[in-house]
This record gives sequence, C-alpha cells and structure tokens, in this order.
Amino acid sequence: MIEVEGLSKRFGKTQAVAGLSFRVEPGTITGFLGPNGAGKSTTLRSILGLVHPDAGSATVLGVPYRQLDRPLHRVGAVLEASEVHPGRSGRNHLRVQAAAAGLPASRVAEVLALVELSAAAKRRVKGYSLGMRQRLGLATALLGNPDVLVLDEPANGLDPAGIRWLRDLLRSLAAEGRTILVSSHVLSEVAQTVDRVVIIHRGALVQQASIADVLAGTQGATRVRTPDARLHELLAGQGAAVTTLEDGALAVDLPPEKVGEVAAANGIVLHELTIERATLEEVFLELTGGETTQ
Amino acid sequence: MSALVRAELIKIRTTRGWWAYLVVLVLLTGIAVAGEVGSAERAQRSTADFQLGLVETIGVAVLLAIILGITIITTEFRHGTVTPTFLATPHREQVIAAKAIAAVVVAIGFALLSLLVVLAVALPWFAIVGAEWNLGGGDAATRVAEQLLATVLWALMGIAVGALVQSQVAALVGTLIWIFVGEALLLGFFGLLNLDGARGYLPFQALDGADGTGGGELLSYWPAVAASLAWIAVIGAAGTERTRRRDIT
Repeated sequence: MIEVEGLSKRFGKTQAVAGLSFRVEPGTITGFLGPNGAGKSTTLRSILGLVHPDAGSATVLGVPYRQLDRPLHRVGAVLEASEVHPGRSGRNHLRVQAAAAGLPASRVAEVLALVELSAAAKRRVKGYSLGMRQRLGLATALLGNPDVLVLDEPANGLDPAGIRWLRDLLRSLAAEGRTILVSSHVLSEVAQTVDRVVIIHRGALVQQASIADVLAGTQGATRVRTPDARLHELLAGQGAAVTTLEDGALAVDLPPEKVGEVAAANGIVLHELTIERATLEEVFLELTGGETTQ
Repeated sequence: MSALVRAELIKIRTTRGWWAYLVVLVLLTGIAVAGEVGSAERAQRSTADFQLGLVETIGVAVLLAIILGITIITTEFRHGTVTPTFLATPHREQVIAAKAIAAVVVAIGFALLSLLVVLAVALPWFAIVGAEWNLGGGDAATRVAEQLLATVLWALMGIAVGALVQSQVAALVGTLIWIFVGEALLLGFFGLLNLDGARGYLPFQALDGADGTGGGELLSYWPAVAASLAWIAVIGAAGTERTRRRDIT
C-alpha cells in the first residue's frame, strides 16, 4: 500500500533520512514513530512527492505519488496545521482544494461536519486555535474520500479531549477499511489506536512490528510489596537487582514465581505481587537510544 | 486544466488582498483621469489626442497586474499553502500554467475595470463642461486592445518572476529595484558602449514598448511585444524548472 525502499535524503549537512525501508500494509493503522528530527516529516513528504529523495523510492498504491491519477481521491494527507492562508476562511480553503481535485462543492460541507468545524467554517483561519487547524487539515485530507491517509503529527496542539476525538475518528476511518499512516513523537498518543509501528531514529529504521510484538518483546519487572524488611536482602542474596520504589514497594528483576518462592520459604507475608510491564514510552526510549522525545 | 484555473480564481477572490487590488485600481485610475481632465485647457479637452491620452490612463492596471502575478505564486510559498496545492496537483508545471491563465483573466478584468472608471469620470465631466467626444471608435478600440495585451504581458511577467524568485518580499522589492535601478544603470551603460539599439530589448523597456503608447528609445510595437514574450518565456521556463525541482519542506 505504501512502500518505502532504501530512501535517503540529505539537506545540506543534515542526513535527514538514511536508507530507510518499510511497508505499510493495506487496511492497517500504522504508527510512524521517532523523536523530533528523526526524519519522519522528510519521509512522509517524500512519499507524497513533495521532497525529491537523493536515493531510493517511495510508492503509494504501487506507484510514485506523482503518477497517481486524481491523487486527492486516492490519498489524503495532513502535514502541517499551518499550511493554510491565514486570511482565508476554512470553508474557502476547502473550496479551493475541492475545485483543484474536481470534487463537487457539496463535499466541503460534508467534511466540515465530519470534523465538527461547521460552526467556524466562515471564519478566517487566522482566528483558529491549533486544534481547529488540525481539524481543518483532517477535513482537507478527507475531501476526496481517499483509501489512504498520511497524517504528520495530527495530535500536535490538541488538548486531551481533542486527542480522544482524533483517536475515535482514526478508529472509525480504519474500520471503514482505510490504510492510515500516522506519525508521532509521543508514543502514547497513538499506542491505543495503531495496529503496527514503524520506529525510526536518525533517519534509519529501528523496528517495524505489530504493537503487540513490541510490547511482548519488552522485559517487565516484578513488583512486590511486603511489610517485612527481610525480603529486600533475601532477594538481593539471590543475585537479583532490587530497588525500592517511591511507595515502598520493591522492583525486582526476577519472575514473580521466584519471588513468591523466596517469600514462602522464609514465611514472609506479601501484600502485592505483580508483573509491571515497561510502558510503551519506556520501550520507545529504549529503542531510540534513550534520547528525549520532546 | 479548467478545474485548476477555477481553483486559482477562487484563491485570488477569497483573501482581503483582492479588495485592496480593486480599491487601489479604482483610486489610481480615478485620480489619474481626474488630474488630466481637470488640468486640461477647455479647447484641448475636445481633441482626439487628449482623449486618446485619457484612454491610456488604464495603463495603471499593468502595475497591479505584475504585482498580482508575482503575489499569486509567492503567497503560496509564504504561507505554506504550496503543500496542499502540490498534493492536489503533483505536476507542478500545471499549477504554474493554471496560475498564468488565472492571472491573465484577472489582469484583463483589471484593465476593463480601469476603462470603466475612465469613462465614469470623463464622460459626465465632459457633459458638464460641454466638451465634445472626438476620439474615433476605431482608434479607441485599438488603443484599448493594446493596453489589454500590455496588461496581460505584465501579469505573465509577474508569474514568471514569482516562479523564479519564490520569496514574496524579494520578488516584489527585487522587481522594483530592477526596474528603477538595475535597468536604469544598464540603460546608461549601453549608452556608454554605443549600444543604444539594445536598450529597447531590456525586459521592462520591451514591456513599456508593448503598450502601444510609444516613446523615444523604445522598440516599435510588435518587436516590443515579441521581445516581452521572449523574456517571459525565458524567465518563466527557468522559474518552472526551479519550482519543479524544489523540495517542499
């Protein structure tokens, strides 16, 4: 559906993308993840024919974007929320795109209603909040009712309610069988929505897998809580790394079975014994070299 | 292509700049024609020559035409709207062609509006002061047609410059500096080299010669039109190539 093969792009001294390859399967929501500056936007813009790669190729629906017949009918994209003339109303911005794509003017009102922006449609974009601009961007992407959506950081600038709204919208769009590639530098924004993830760092692929595999591959710690101070030493005596957490519980790098055995053998009362999975954010940090995601 | 031209025309009409163009055009023409009629001798007003001069005041439309041409390309880069534009039409040369056609349509509209202002000011004034309209319809029509073509050429030059330069401020200021400093220096330079014949071929000398109003050192009408078209083609081709190659980031 979307195929990126050996993509490289350099801007001056910056190697934005370095030999990146990945595939987005039809009918999935794929999270395109990486810290800021990882090369996500350059990759998406190469896929959309806006940036000319130095090497490699990117195809959508089997062909380079520029060779698509009536591209807005096939692929919808939201790149930056600011790419609208500030003096034009949201409705007129959509009228321009609809005219250029040969779409009927009636689609404008439909997509405005879909993103819940009808009330502000006649106001100039200058007065829109960032969240409203993101909605306008989504409306633009949906004008041609495309099968493929490419969204660059669509959650930027949205408040928590807006993020939930976006998540629900993406889910319902995916349920209609669309293929969605959505980038983010904050994994938790998309973790509940995506089926698969493509993680990149410094322009190169770090991991491409289903979200379930990414989670399963991460090592969890065992969390144990007890009023008995002896457990800490006993576990350390087993060669385990034991740390005391803020709430007084212990984090141990042994499986819970082993912790339970040690406690039972010494008559220690346990108040809690659970597996604590690494959060997606921690996985993300680990995979991308522990650099800050901000 | 007609869909693309329609999209470009919607773009032009849906910002406040559009109203500024119309207001400035009406004011400039109105002031120019009122100045001419007001300062003319009573007898002079009834001469065909003077009345031809009044028709020529619609030449102010060329200024707005080149500004419009430059602006409708550079505003896309300035506001980043070039991204959705090229997503809708990945063949960028088609976008430039559509903008050129839209600019031509609007430029002709500017010149006709300007003509309306000339008539709206001059005719009632003539009626009040008892001047006679002696300019022949044929002469008037010829001069209007020449002015319309000139306005179209200036609009196309604006498109060519906008496509090549892409930065709005640089394109607008650079064009002004080129006209009033660059070409003025070259005119003097050509004079020193005894290349007086080459002067008329400078881009804006050619455009100036292509409005039919004539002038001492300018090319005659059709050579001026041809030289203007050649400059537009060269600058436009370079601009189109630059636009096609540019990374939109």
